[in-house]
Amino acid sequence: MLVTWKYRPRDTFIQRLDPRTRLIFMFSVILAITIGQIWDIRFILPITALVFALYFSARIEWRDVRRAWVFIIILVVFIIGLNALLSGRGGPAEVLSGESPILWQTPALIVPLVNWKIQITITTARAFFAITQIVRMLTMAALAIPIPYTIDPSIYGVTFRQMGLPDKASFSMDLAFRFVPTLGRDFSITVDAQRARGYEMESVKGGIINRIRRIAPLIVPVTMQSVVTGEEVVDAMDLRAFGVHPRTWLKTLHFQTRDYIMIGLGLALLVGAVILTILGYADFWVPQWWLDLGH
Amino acid sequence: MNERSSVWKFGTREVVYGAIGAALYGVFSWITNVIPLPAAGNVTFRPAVAVLIFFGAAFGPWVGLIAGLVGNTLGDALTGWGLYWNWSVGNGLMGFIPGLVVAMIQDYRSGRGIGLGIFYGLLGMAVGMLFASLTEMLTSGIDINTALVGYFLPAFIGNAVVIIILVPILFVAYQAVAARRGR
Repeated sequence: MLVTWKYRPRDTFIQRLDPRTRLIFMFSVILAITIGQIWDIRFILPITALVFALYFSARIEWRDVRRAWVFIIILVVFIIGLNALLSGRGGPAEVLSGESPILWQTPALIVPLVNWKIQITITTARAFFAITQIVRMLTMAALAIPIPYTIDPSIYGVTFRQMGLPDKASFSMDLAFRFVPTLGRDFSITVDAQRARGYEMESVKGGIINRIRRIAPLIVPVTMQSVVTGEEVVDAMDLRAFGVHPRTWLKTLHFQTRDYIMIGLGLALLVGAVILTILGYADFWVPQWWLDLGH
Repeated sequence: MNERSSVWKFGTREVVYGAIGAALYGVFSWITNVIPLPAAGNVTFRPAVAVLIFFGAAFGPWVGLIAGLVGNTLGDALTGWGLYWNWSVGNGLMGFIPGLVVAMIQDYRSGRGIGLGIFYGLLGMAVGMLFASLTEMLTSGIDINTALVGYFLPAFIGNAVVIIILVPILFVAYQAVAARRGR
């Protein structure tokens, strides 16, 4: 089992940006939408367009991201559907105040004996709210998905160091990325060794508890081996006086003009969103023609 | 060195074990993301969670925090799902809270040690998953019922089963390793 990173070097605008810019921009947009509580789709759609333009400019192959998108779309549909069934009180869904025309209604189902009436009513406002939610969630996904494909795993540590994280914590992050291929190899060796002893992963019988217990012969040896190896790494680093002086890093990141422009854009979106919210322009909005669809 | 400073110390040991815990958590998460265990409905079983709780309980809160925070980021990066800060922070809390027992457990094979590990593991997991689920309310505009039923409950049930079954096995195995290393 070979552990491989999703990152590939591509000569794109996104990848020429400083990784710090990417993270700052991402958090600015997330904060703009969430802290600003923007629910007016007329303000969300331009942000969505910008995010998807950046997404497509990253030129990530569809076969690479297909699984991620399928997973996210299933999750979004499940969550929004569940929310439509459950929502009523509390949470941000309370933007749905008042009555609106009914778009679709199931026939009333009366539960015998207890006389409960079950009837699902989808109003125009609720349906449009679901659309707004879907747009927001997909915008977030389009921001998050490209990160592993476009940021080199070897520069996560220095990125966070230069964003102000302490040396030791950044180095720990760097080290984690470096350990991944080794542990992936250890895991393969363990799987092979256990199979040679007759361990069968595929034909496990019994309930879920048995199946989880059967994972132990795979994860325990890998975990304990890495604990033992860890002691050696600690000794080696202590011998080299790790942490005594501030570190220098092999790679240093420098902002370019394009980075300042992107950060400026991200911050402008954030400030704009906060101002719109304070002024009350960002509340949930339903177009009139959509309301007219109901009855 | 008193007990308090040893729990909160952040030295070479914490740097290395934080990194190893993160890498293990990332790789194991990636394996179950790619080859999922059979599950019921929306509940998924991630054996990686037991490794995270173990790292917290064996090496302290900072190691647990790094292992969860960086490990979740790593797992999502390996699977190619993206970068979701709230789930990474939630996973960080899930490792941090069991780390608080590190000074309380002398023998990882004893009933008390295993009990403490499971209790704090479940507590940390509940807090971490609750944090991540509730922050989803801000992002997607779902209400609290949906956050609890759609995100929290499936994650809680799946992880609780894994913690109860696998954490004791890891603790017993670790006691043997720790005794041999004389630490």
